[in-house]
Amino acid sequence: MRLAFYPGCSLEGMASDYAESIEAVFRRLEVDLVEIEDWSCCGATAAHSLSEAMAVALPARNIAAAEKLGLDIVVPCANCFNRMRFSQVMIEKGIYDVPWPVTGKIKIHDMTRLLAEEKMLDKISQGTVRPLSGLKLVSYYGCQMVRPPRITGFTDYENPQTLDRLAAAVGAEALDWSYKTTCCGASIGIGRRDIQETLTRKLLIKARQAGAEAIVVSCPLCQANLDLIQAKESGPATPVFYFTELLRLALISGGRPQHWLRKHVADPLPLLREKGVIP
Amino acid sequence: MHEANPNRNAGRRSEDARTRHRIGDRGDHFLKRLEGETGANISACYQCERCTNACPVSPFMDVKPHQVIRYVQLGWRERLLASATVWVCLSCEMCTTYCPNDVGVAETIQHLRKMAARSAIRPRELQLATFHRTFIEELQRFGRVNEFWLMGALNLKPGILKDKLRTGALKEEIELGLTLWRQGKLKLIPHRCKAVGEIRTLVQNRNGENL
Repeated sequence: MRLAFYPGCSLEGMASDYAESIEAVFRRLEVDLVEIEDWSCCGATAAHSLSEAMAVALPARNIAAAEKLGLDIVVPCANCFNRMRFSQVMIEKGIYDVPWPVTGKIKIHDMTRLLAEEKMLDKISQGTVRPLSGLKLVSYYGCQMVRPPRITGFTDYENPQTLDRLAAAVGAEALDWSYKTTCCGASIGIGRRDIQETLTRKLLIKARQAGAEAIVVSCPLCQANLDLIQAKESGPATPVFYFTELLRLALISGGRPQHWLRKHVADPLPLLREKGVIP
Repeated sequence: MHEANPNRNAGRRSEDARTRHRIGDRGDHFLKRLEGETGANISACYQCERCTNACPVSPFMDVKPHQVIRYVQLGWRERLLASATVWVCLSCEMCTTYCPNDVGVAETIQHLRKMAARSAIRPRELQLATFHRTFIEELQRFGRVNEFWLMGALNLKPGILKDKLRTGALKEEIELGLTLWRQGKLKLIPHRCKAVGEIRTLVQNRNGENL
């Protein structure tokens, strides 16, 4: 299996740990990721806030590059995925013209749904060498991956299951909770830290109330918000994992997880030691 | 008698306030324009307030999501563009998803934000407004956006650093930067796309088109 890979700007910086774990997991699953050559930023919220024409055109450049390769695209970042799908839909509807040929013949996958497909899920549960049994977690999807449903294609947008299925496949217990798709505040912390902290803290409290020892996410910004807010807290931390980090932990024996799990503020090592996942 | 019953008077005054603003008083130009440009069904709103109840940031908004829709129907353009709401909205799409009449509330607010960014009205949330602009400038500079350079560029914009010094946000930001640096998550040297010229032309041509 070969797929075009669009990492997005975050994965070069604050989510470099996400990028590393994706590389390891896909190599283990024998899926070839071909990074889109000379990819550029999708425009994120800013382009969308200033001009719709720009918000459609910026991702289109990357979609066109993938179409040239003839490969479906897989996107790890929730916002990039949303923007690329938005661009594809708007071009399909003929609302905007773009300077690159975009025919809409390729699919844009968000990474969680791709890996939660039945075949992949079997491969993951069969390939698990280090089951995460006893680990209680809640899955957090955020907004951009699931909403609006007409763009993202999620049918279970109120109670999505992809991350839950993936967590269960590697032996962890995904608990039920009501805040799977409630916004974490996204980038509003840049101008209004108070709003972001209110929203993020609420999620953290609700996750703990549900009995979660950890949170599993798929969005770089959600991870940063939920993790960094814990820098100001004392008491037991609630580690915030990228779902690919859990897969990497479960699928690849050895590989020094103590080393690559260091990039979290909420230290996951004590919890994993307690559960006997790592020595 | 008039002075003897102030309550009745107050009641009458608020009733006046209710009847003073009727849909159509200012014409339907603004409503029609927004419906045309966003494709949102703004006329279909019956003020059930489900959008406001679903919104995670409605407590921080001066004009609540359902009021935004009413204001558009009333043609109150200036109040909307000067509101904090257009900048505080997270585009999380809760309102649109749960609207029973498919009104496209988030799309409407996003469109108003674009209009506000282009208007001469001073944005209520200066830092957030400046952030979006700076993001696009950085995107034009490198083709991709580097978090470290983005925050640096934002701090150099007029008024931002002063504001952050006053609120103590700058100290927090530096501490955050140090944490990320220790974790090896801060990329100091930005990557420049080969096709950055192409992206610059695109942004310059498209920014402003159709708002």
